[in-house]
Amino acid sequence: MPVEKMKIIGIVGSNSDLDKVARLVIMNGNMHMLNAVSELSNNCLELKASEENIDTMKELADIKPYSTKVDFSEDEKIIKAFHDVLNIKPAVMRRHIDVSFNYHDLMENLKSSYVAAKDTLEKIESLNNQIELKQTYIQNFRYAKIEDLDVGLLLNLKYFDFSLMSLSREKYKKLKLNYENIPSFVIHLGVFDDNDIIAALTPKQLEEDAERIFTSLNILKLDVPIGYTGSTTSIIKVLQQEINEMRSEIDELKSAVQLSKEKYGTVLAECYTMLNLEKKVEDVKSEIAQGKNLFFMFGFVPVRDIDKFHYQFNSVFQDKVVLVTIDLEDRKYGHSPPTKLKNNIIFKPFESLVEMYGTPAYNEKDPTPFFGLSYMILFGAMFGDLGQGFVIFAAGLILKYLMKNISFGGILSRLGLSSMFFGLLYGSVFGNEEVIPHLLIKPMENINVMLISAIALGIVLISISYIYSLINLYKRKDMEEGIFGREGVVGYMFFWVLILLILEVVMNTLGVPIWIYVAVLAVLLLLMVFKQPLSHIIKGNKDLYEDSPADYYIEAGFGVIETILSVLSNIISFIRVGAFALNHVGLYIAFATMANMMSSKAAGIAVLVVGNIIIIGLEGLIVFIQSLRLEYYELFSKFYSGYGIPYKPAQINSSEDR
Amino acid sequence: MGNISRFAAVNTKIKTLEGEFLLAKDYRNLLEQKSIADAARYLKSETAYNEVLENIDVNQLRRSTLESLTKQKMLINIDKIIHYFNGDYKRFINTLYAKYEIIELKAVARAVFNGMDTKPFRNSVFIGKYSKVDEERIYNAKYIRDIIEAFEGTAFYKYLQPLLDNNIKENLFRFEMVLDASYYEILQKEWEKLDKHDIEVLEKGQGIMADLLNLQWIYRGIKFFNLSPEELLNYTIHLGYRLNRNFIKQLCYSKGLEEFYELASQTRYSFLFKNDQTTDIFMERRLERHMYFELKAVERDNPMTIITTFAYIVFMDIEVRDIISIIEMIRYRMPEAEAEKYLIKALNGGE
Repeated sequence: MPVEKMKIIGIVGSNSDLDKVARLVIMNGNMHMLNAVSELSNNCLELKASEENIDTMKELADIKPYSTKVDFSEDEKIIKAFHDVLNIKPAVMRRHIDVSFNYHDLMENLKSSYVAAKDTLEKIESLNNQIELKQTYIQNFRYAKIEDLDVGLLLNLKYFDFSLMSLSREKYKKLKLNYENIPSFVIHLGVFDDNDIIAALTPKQLEEDAERIFTSLNILKLDVPIGYTGSTTSIIKVLQQEINEMRSEIDELKSAVQLSKEKYGTVLAECYTMLNLEKKVEDVKSEIAQGKNLFFMFGFVPVRDIDKFHYQFNSVFQDKVVLVTIDLEDRKYGHSPPTKLKNNIIFKPFESLVEMYGTPAYNEKDPTPFFGLSYMILFGAMFGDLGQGFVIFAAGLILKYLMKNISFGGILSRLGLSSMFFGLLYGSVFGNEEVIPHLLIKPMENINVMLISAIALGIVLISISYIYSLINLYKRKDMEEGIFGREGVVGYMFFWVLILLILEVVMNTLGVPIWIYVAVLAVLLLLMVFKQPLSHIIKGNKDLYEDSPADYYIEAGFGVIETILSVLSNIISFIRVGAFALNHVGLYIAFATMANMMSSKAAGIAVLVVGNIIIIGLEGLIVFIQSLRLEYYELFSKFYSGYGIPYKPAQINSSEDR
Repeated sequence: MGNISRFAAVNTKIKTLEGEFLLAKDYRNLLEQKSIADAARYLKSETAYNEVLENIDVNQLRRSTLESLTKQKMLINIDKIIHYFNGDYKRFINTLYAKYEIIELKAVARAVFNGMDTKPFRNSVFIGKYSKVDEERIYNAKYIRDIIEAFEGTAFYKYLQPLLDNNIKENLFRFEMVLDASYYEILQKEWEKLDKHDIEVLEKGQGIMADLLNLQWIYRGIKFFNLSPEELLNYTIHLGYRLNRNFIKQLCYSKGLEEFYELASQTRYSFLFKNDQTTDIFMERRLERHMYFELKAVERDNPMTIITTFAYIVFMDIEVRDIISIIEMIRYRMPEAEAEKYLIKALNGGE
C-alpha cells in the first residue's frame, strides 16, 4: 500500500497576521512544518516578476529565522496554582480555541478576576513555606541524632556560637586531618545520606577565622529554630503541633476558595487551552522565516487535506495571506517529505512493529500489509492452538478495550486469531490433540513434512521481499542496485538458481547437468562483482568507479561471500518455523507426562493448567520474538530502508477527543 | 564480565581514533598558517577535524566558533567510545564529561559575575552534557545564584547548595573551587563501582594528575593568593598518588616559598619548580607534558583496563587545547619558534 501523498504549502502573509495564521495552522492540524529558512535557501519560491510581487521579492533578500522566545513559565505557574486550589484537572477544550483572541488580555483578565483568590493563595503559599521550614528544623535535629540536648541553652550562650553543619565525606576527612588548627570544638554527630553531620562550638571572638575555614570546607549550615527552649525532643513536639495547626488552616482556606469553582471554571479552562495553544504557536513560529513586513511559512500537507486547508484559510483571511501549493516533483533539494501510513483496519496495529524498525521513506513501499500477513502466518504456524490462541485473542481484546493499549492489543488479538486458525489445522486445543480432529496435519507425526514446508514458506516469503525490493529500486531508478545488485534482478535470479541447484542435487528434478547451474551462478556472481563499472558503462559515465577501484573490489569480493552465505542462511533460517511448531507440541507432551504421573486427578489437572500458562507465557513470548526476528532480519533487510520521517503535524490534542 | 571482553573492542576503536591524532608535522604546518581561515582550511583538508568542518564555510569562521568546533570533535569522539560501555562503566565514562563541563561553566560564571554578556559562551560544547542542566538558564543568569539554582536536581547541586548563603563577595571564587572539588568526589564515587584492577589503575593515573595539580595549587596559593594554610589544605584534591595527606598538609603549612621549594624538591615532581622566571610561565605546560608521559606509562603497563579510555580522553583534550592555543597564537601573530614552546605536545620529541 502506498504512503499518503504530500504536497508543500507555502504561506506568505504580513507579520501582523502571523499569530493568527499559526493558530489556524494548529487548529487545522494537518501541516507538518518545514524550516522555512532552509527551504527558501534551497528552493526558490517561484514568483512572477510583476508589479504586485515586487514587495515580496524585496523581502526575500533579507530574511531571518523567527527569534523571539516567549517565556510562559509565569503564566504556567499561575494557572497551575489555580488548578490546584480549585481542585480541577487541567484539560484542553477545542471549543475554547479561537483564531483571533488576544492572549495577553485573556491572561490579564484571569489575573485580575482572581484578586480575591490571590490573597488566599498567597496565604496558603506562605503557610506551606512555614511548614516546610519547620519540617527542616525537625529533620535537622533528627540528622544530628541528638536527643534530650538542651539546644535552647546552647543557642543562648553569650561567648560561644553553636551551629549544626553538614559536609561531604572527603571534606570531613580534611577537617579531621587538621583538627589541631581549627578554632572550634567540633563534634561528629553521624553520617546521613553520604554527608557527615557535625556540631561546632566556636568562641565568638574567633568566629571570623572559623567561618573562613568552614567556608573552604564547603559546609552547609543546618538551620536550627530560634526562640525555643528546652530539649530537642520537646522542641520537636512543639514544632509538630504547630505544623498540624497550619495544615488545618490551609484546608479551611482551600475549601473556602473551592466554593467559587463554578464561577471561575470556564475562564480557567479557556486560559489553559490558550496557554497550550500559544506554546504550540511558538513551536510553529520557530520554523518560519521573517522579513521586515512579511513572513514565510512552509509545511507538508497530505493531498487529500489540501482543499480543506485552502477553504479554512480563505474563509478566515480572504486574500490577506497568500497560499502557494508546490508539487514535490518541482522541488529539487531540501528535506524529504514525511511519511503518513495509510493502512486498512486489519493491518493498522502492525504499523507500530514496522515503525520499531523504521518509518518507511516517502518513496518507499509501505511494508505493513506484507508484514502483518506474514507475521500472522509465522506466529500461527509456530504457535497453532485453538485454546491457547483464544486466550491470547482475549488478552488482546482486554488490552485494547480496557487498558487502552490499542496497537499492542490489536496485534495480540490478531495473532490469537491466527493461532486459533492453525490450531484447527493441527487439531490442537490447549495442547491436547485428541479433542478435535485435525484438518490438515499433525505436526509430531509428520516431522519432515513440517520442516520442509517451513522452508518452502520461507522461500515464498523471501521471494516476495525480493519483489518488494525490485519495486523500491525501480521507484528510485537505481540501476546499479536494481539490476546488478544483491537485492536486484541478478540477486533474485541467483536466489532461484541456487534453489533449483539444490533441488537438482537432492531430487534430480529437471535433469539438467550440475555444471550448468554452477556456471550460471558464477556468471551471476561476476555480474554482481562488476555492478558499478557495468552500470556506469550502460549509463555512459566516464568514471567507472566512484571511489578507488581497489576499495571497490575488496568490498565486492567480500560481498560475494556474504551473498552466498546469506542466501543460504536466510532460507535455512525458516526451518525454525517448523521446529517451533514441533517444540510447541513437545512442551505440552512434557507437561502431559507429568500430569499422568500425579497420583490424584486434581493434581494432574493443576499441572496441565500450570503447564498451559507456562506455554502461553514463555513460548508465546519466544515465538513472538522469533517471528519478529525472521521479519526484521531475513525479510526487511532485503528491501526495507526505514529511513523515513514520521508525519507529525502541528496540532493540539483536546480532551474532548479522547 | 572479563576484562578482555569488556575492553577488546573499545581499545581497538581507541587505537583507530588515536591514529587520527595530529602529528608533529601537522602542528608545524598549523603554526605556519597566516590566518584563522587558513588554519581552519588546513584542519578541514588534512586532518580528522573535517568531520566537524565539512559543512562550514571556513572563510567566515570566527575564532570562537573554530574553537568550539574542535571541542565538538572531542565530544563526538567520546560519544563514539561511550557506546562500547554499559552499566557502571558507562556511567563512569559519562562522569568524565563533567570535567570539561565544569571548565566551561567556570568561564560563564566569570562572565556573569563581572556583568559581561554571556553570548560568546553560547557555543559551549559540554555544558549540560553531564549535569543535564537547562543551558538556557545558565546563559540567562544575572547572578551566580541564578546559575546555582539552575542546577537544582542535578548531581552538582548538593555541592553548590551551601553557596546560597548570601556571601556575595566570595561567590565566584567559591563557585569555582566547589565545582572543581565536586568533580573529584563524584568521579571517585563512580569509579568505586568498577572492577578492583580498574580502580587501582585509575587511582594511579588520576592520582598523579592530582599530585601535580595540588603542587601547583599550593604553590600559587602561597605565592599569589595569600590564603591561610587551613584554606589551602581544604581546597586540595584528595586523590593523591605519590604525595600523601600528611605531606600535603606539611606543604600547606610551609612558611614561605623557600620552605615549599625545599619540600617539593624531595618529590618526583621537583622539575616543576626551577626557582627562576620560567617557573610560572611554563608550569602549566610542564605539568601537562609530564602528565602525558606518566599516563602513557600507566597505559602501557596496564593493557585491557579502563585507563586506555581515560587516557585517550585526556590526550584528546590536550590536542584540542593545543589547537586552541595555536589558533590564538596565529590570531596574535606570535612567532612560530616562540609559539612552539607553549604547546603541550613536544614537537622535538620531548623536553
